Amino acid sequence: MSQPILQMLGINKSFSGVRVLRDVDFELRPGEVHTVVGENGAGKSTLMKILAGIYRADSGQIVWKGKPVEITTPNSSLRLGISMVHQELTLAQHLTVAENLYLGREPLRQRHLGVISRKSLFRQAKQLLDENHFDLDPFAVVLRLPIAQRQVVEIARALAAESEVIIMDEPTSSLSAREAEEFFGVIHRLKARGVSIIYISHRLEELHEVADRITILRDGKKMVTTRFESIKMTEIIRYMVGRELSAMFPKKEAPIGQEILRVENLSRAGVLHDISFSLHAGEILGVAGLVGAGRTELARAIFGLDKVDSGRIFILGKELRFVSPSKAIAAGMGYLTEDRKVTGLALGLDISANVTLSNLKKLISFGRIDLREEREVARQYVTRLRITTPSVRQKVLRLSGGNQQKVAVAKWLFAQSRVIIFDEPTRGIDVAAKRDVFELFVELTRMGAGILMISSELPEILGIGDRILVMRRGRIVGQLDPRRTNQEQILRLAALGAEHAA
Amino acid sequence: MKPARKSEILVTSFRKFLPFISLIVICLVLSLLRPRFLNWEKISNIIRQHAQIIIMAIGMTFVIVSQGIDLSVGSMMALAGVCGTLLLTIGVPIVPAIVGGCFAGLICGLLNGLFISRLKISPFIATLGTMQVFRGLVLQITKGLPVYRDIPPAFDRLRNGNLSDLVRLGLFDSIPIVVIAILLIAALAMLILRRTRAGKYLFADRISIALILALLIATVAIMMLRLRRFMPIPLILILLVAVLANLMLRYTRLGRYSYAIGSNVEAAHHSGIRVGAYIVLIYAVCGFLAGFAGMIHFSSLGSGVPTEGVGYELKVIAAVVIGGGSLMGGEGTVSGTIAGALFMAILLNACVHLQISDFVQQIVIGGLLVLAVALDQRLKRKMEGGGL
Repeated sequence: MSQPILQMLGINKSFSGVRVLRDVDFELRPGEVHTVVGENGAGKSTLMKILAGIYRADSGQIVWKGKPVEITTPNSSLRLGISMVHQELTLAQHLTVAENLYLGREPLRQRHLGVISRKSLFRQAKQLLDENHFDLDPFAVVLRLPIAQRQVVEIARALAAESEVIIMDEPTSSLSAREAEEFFGVIHRLKARGVSIIYISHRLEELHEVADRITILRDGKKMVTTRFESIKMTEIIRYMVGRELSAMFPKKEAPIGQEILRVENLSRAGVLHDISFSLHAGEILGVAGLVGAGRTELARAIFGLDKVDSGRIFILGKELRFVSPSKAIAAGMGYLTEDRKVTGLALGLDISANVTLSNLKKLISFGRIDLREEREVARQYVTRLRITTPSVRQKVLRLSGGNQQKVAVAKWLFAQSRVIIFDEPTRGIDVAAKRDVFELFVELTRMGAGILMISSELPEILGIGDRILVMRRGRIVGQLDPRRTNQEQILRLAALGAEHAA
Repeated sequence: MKPARKSEILVTSFRKFLPFISLIVICLVLSLLRPRFLNWEKISNIIRQHAQIIIMAIGMTFVIVSQGIDLSVGSMMALAGVCGTLLLTIGVPIVPAIVGGCFAGLICGLLNGLFISRLKISPFIATLGTMQVFRGLVLQITKGLPVYRDIPPAFDRLRNGNLSDLVRLGLFDSIPIVVIAILLIAALAMLILRRTRAGKYLFADRISIALILALLIATVAIMMLRLRRFMPIPLILILLVAVLANLMLRYTRLGRYSYAIGSNVEAAHHSGIRVGAYIVLIYAVCGFLAGFAGMIHFSSLGSGVPTEGVGYELKVIAAVVIGGGSLMGGEGTVSGTIAGALFMAILLNACVHLQISDFVQQIVIGGLLVLAVALDQRLKRKMEGGGL
């Protein structure tokens, strides 16, 4: 057994009096992929941020190659050879790939004046990318790269810094299934070169592709560290949540009712081509497809965020013309975007303001907002959706991801939306919160709403959907019944199109 | 989710009250240094001198809360104020002329808002441009000379007068106009109200609240009348504007949407808020109040001076920021802004009183601005979950 390259011993950390890590031990061997799992708030991110020098541990020791070290700043962590690939990407978007790779470490032509040698910068970058078989143009501006490739830039940057340990926080969360597959290839190549990887993910089902060992955290305590093959998925989940989840997907009992949304021949040049479908009350319609298939673009077009070239949209039988978000909402539509922090929530405002934002007029009489009524409304939703918060005056900023998601849902409930579009509703939330989201779906359908659920998690679409639309390159290439299909068939349709899928 | 704890609540409320605490502290320190520094006369004078800044700062609060900025307030003040004084020179009575000045400002603000929302120019650049445009316009209109002919002498009461001078301003001569205006507004309100579902709430408790409010207002009014020789008109105007602006920010859609747009403009758009329209309104409010400030400013000068108000935008923005407004949007209150403006005004006055030179004054004010914001940021970080 090889000597560990990195050990963390008895790490403790508190934030304003709340202990988020209790005596956590962790070790990493050269060339292994060590995955860390746990629910949101279990302390994974905090532990990694201590390693990356973003936070300092209250007590405990970090041992690097057998020697105790102090990691006080992100820079000192980087100098040891530890890089973190962040969940929210941290690239300078207006610079090129090469400039990003050597940001802060540019090769200089003239040391004292700090003149950068562009020639050797790009040469070095090219060499690094070629050596690792990364299919990236060093001259490409990051802004114009798809998310999946930006992720690769982040990893290449870690290699450029000659890191021996790379921390990956939810690296596949924004990748489609195929991209993720390629990404695992990258990880295997890194491993072969002796790079150690700490891999944090909510997607338990993908871990078997990469993991050598697994450490499970719960409530700031380490539950277990073991070889990945020697543990069953059900055991992992039990360690994470402390109880077995009987079934991920609650039973749906709402009958499918009248048609509430009909889209006819919707087209947008280069993005959407002749899209027609309908959604019924009480129905959950899953939309599958690879990243870039036009699923989010479809949602944006229906909701009036992007202009369409042709096509018609009917809500509850009435045609929506010149659709804009305010009209779509008034007609009974709601849209929970993939990135709730950017487009869904006013993070600096409190829960009650966020809940009522889309339907403020309901609380207004004589031009005046009834603040007491508003808080009462917010309190009802907090109870109903089991949002954990000390009060409805709490800023949304300070809620956990799952609770923020629920606030965003509450907003559309209060707006009395009948047609609700969810774009990647389970991204970045933990197993228990996912279950809550699905229960919410069931309740929404019981109340007569219809749900359009865009998701890259095929098991979820299969588990909860009543029908599945598969999109590819801006077209709908198939409508499937989840009881008579499987992941493979969906993937074939999404990747190859109808003619190859038969 | 951890429950809110005592220390956190303490930090939160400390941050909230920081502008007021600073204000009180500086008053206490000054009183200790110069026991007779702060008396009623002195305070009324400070308020008279700085009324235009305070009123513009209230307008700027809307803008900054919505993550905007308006660099053109100084120029708007000059342009709108000169327009108002021009009305006076052609014989328009004082009160309608003041209203005219306000509306000139409103039009300037609408232009700002349209540039920002329709042409998608960042507020900083748009108002940097209109700052020049408005200044150029007012200089062109006046050929660079003050407008002073035939201005009624009573106009100076707007800034220098006390409550007892209201008659001289001609408020009561203009009663027909005022009545018509009120009727118009009432008619408009009725139209709007008919569209909302009236009677949604029980009126019983509303009536009791209204009674208490009426009593309070009556008390204040009687006090003011008793003190009518000592109650500066600018103070009354500031209070009026402040109360209305506070109600707007806290209880109306315009106010709520200002916070939402400032906190996250994308989320606001996705929530169905017509962001562009509200941005126009927000800048219009700021312009309207800049016009009002211009009328107050020019009243004591007895003329409309096109070169006035240069550099005011910085004082106004500083007042909002010291008062807890954040240039990152989503934060700021009317009461905080007023405290911030008073803080600066008193400090400036104290500098004069303590015979500190103009140059040092600038250093002190600038330094305190940076210090106040630094402290606020520190508290904010502390509040928003540990780390660093």
